[in-house]
Amino acid sequence: MRKYISRQNLNTLIDKLIAEGRRIVAPRMTAGTPLYEPLGHSGEMIIDQLPRRSAKEAFFPLCEEIMSYEKSGQQVKLTDVDPSRFPETILFAVRPCDAAAIPVLDAVFSWDYKDEFFLERRRKTTVVGLACTTADDACFCTAVGLSPSDTKGSDLFLSPLEGGGYNVESFTEKGEALINSCSDLFAEESNAAYIQLANPQTEAFDLKKVKSWLDEHFEDQLWDGIATRCVGCGACAFVCPACHCFDIVDEGTEKAGKRRKNWDACGFWKFTHHASGHNPRDLQPKRYRNRIMHKFKYYDDKFGQTLCTGCGRCVRICPVGIDIAAIVEEINQK
Amino acid sequence: MNSQLIDTSIYADISRFIRDESLRILLEGEVIAVVGYAAGRRKGSVQPIIACDTESAGRLMFSQASVNNLAVYLTKAKKEIPKSGKIGIVLKGCDLKALVGLIGESQLKREDLYLIGVPCSGVLASTVHPATELATETIAPKCLECDAHLPTGCDFVPDVALPPQQKSDLKYAVEIARLEALTPAERWAYWKEQFSKCIKCYACRQVCPFCFCEQCLCDRNKPQMVETTPRPAGNTAWHIVRAMHLAGRCAGCAECERVCPMDIPLNLLNRKMAKELKELFDYEPGFEVNDKGPLASFTDKDDQSFIK
Repeated sequence: MRKYISRQNLNTLIDKLIAEGRRIVAPRMTAGTPLYEPLGHSGEMIIDQLPRRSAKEAFFPLCEEIMSYEKSGQQVKLTDVDPSRFPETILFAVRPCDAAAIPVLDAVFSWDYKDEFFLERRRKTTVVGLACTTADDACFCTAVGLSPSDTKGSDLFLSPLEGGGYNVESFTEKGEALINSCSDLFAEESNAAYIQLANPQTEAFDLKKVKSWLDEHFEDQLWDGIATRCVGCGACAFVCPACHCFDIVDEGTEKAGKRRKNWDACGFWKFTHHASGHNPRDLQPKRYRNRIMHKFKYYDDKFGQTLCTGCGRCVRICPVGIDIAAIVEEINQK
Repeated sequence: MNSQLIDTSIYADISRFIRDESLRILLEGEVIAVVGYAAGRRKGSVQPIIACDTESAGRLMFSQASVNNLAVYLTKAKKEIPKSGKIGIVLKGCDLKALVGLIGESQLKREDLYLIGVPCSGVLASTVHPATELATETIAPKCLECDAHLPTGCDFVPDVALPPQQKSDLKYAVEIARLEALTPAERWAYWKEQFSKCIKCYACRQVCPFCFCEQCLCDRNKPQMVETTPRPAGNTAWHIVRAMHLAGRCAGCAECERVCPMDIPLNLLNRKMAKELKELFDYEPGFEVNDKGPLASFTDKDDQSFIK
């Protein structure tokens, strides 16, 4: 289904959905930082800045309770979290590099173990993608097979037009349901010219070639060369739309507490620290190697997909300037 | 205030001096490696490198994007860096203060190091692209309060004439005064909102030269000392632990604030603690090696008014 919506009507749509009690998540400023957060009204939405963290947290929050316990006398009471109580959510103005990561995450969260927390949120969320007009020199979506107008992962996709407003394309039943719920706000598809989209200046990687090099080079001097400088924080993994490792911790007292699922990162030394004290990834290059291997080899081996959408967030925020696009390019040249 | 360009013309000469000196000390076997800066892929970007050969030493440079405090690579927390011989390191004045602090805390020995000091007019703020020109609006806030443009006590300092430094608004001093004027409830609301953004990536800890604990208190789980979850209680606890542990030690390199992916103004906490230390003990970290910081020693001149 193809339609048109004016910018004003898009705001009206968002406000109407909020008034109906729907949870709307979109880019907004939070204490001075652009993040995907619930909106109070449409005026809070900003679309000209890439949110600092990705949209994955709509399905995979950085911290979530999965169970609680309470002890009284000899009795221990366990209470599960009921995922059916997760709210229906509409994610607005999602960048193509964020939306494209969502089907990539579906693969791992519905693999041998069905992660009901992720999957229930996924079922209840409608993703409204927005074509991207603001790339910088950290962006490399075009190098990993995507583009600023890629509709992968979007239920509805907005393409901005000259003179304001958007052409809207629906790809799923959820997308059509959203249009049909407020059909008076949409008009027939417009013939107006599309706004010039972002144009990341990176050549496409030969991902098959990159993977075949990785297949053979678990041990290679490249890893020391690029990652001795890595300081071992989790910033790259935490801003990544596709990284999905988590840790489960019990926090509380002996009387009561909660079991929580938190984001984790392979850059941390304790990520692979065994209870015995042994750590198979004892030095930082071995940890950084895992980041590249997981994104461009292991995930491909298992699910036939690349675990990177070229959003460039890790490139921008790495404290020591580690540039994953430059590294994959170097491997691509080998 | 209008933005004014800051003269960085000496940085090209400094780059040449750093390369020549690094090549010399590597070739003569004086050091086994030089920790310095090299250009990255993105225009203007700079990243730390550990140069062990002439090829990589030939890439050493310095520019307004040379933001990192490289002293972090010398601590025992960084096991990847060879420690089997003397190490050369490129340092700005602010970085050198941290290194001096590490020597004072018996973490480093001066004789194991070859210090290449950089006469510095300032580096870029974390909020701007690395290819940006240095100006009063794009400079890192710490540089506006810098008293260490010219490092002292180094083995080598490029022979360049440092241009006169421009005076500008002191952003930290102004912001600390603003926060001090708030009521405790307002101040709490401010920090609560800032800490709510924390994602516990620990970038602040990992880049800090003084966070050299081999196992951070916050990584312990037998027993757990601080909630690891990125929720208000755990986030606040972490940032208070961090600020307190750095009091009297932090030399103001502001790396914690620069690297925070969530823009939490962490250096405000450090500067506030430094202000308290200055008022209570007339102490400031500098270029002089002190075996005992003010919070690790007692003299009868210490303020005792808190004893009622």
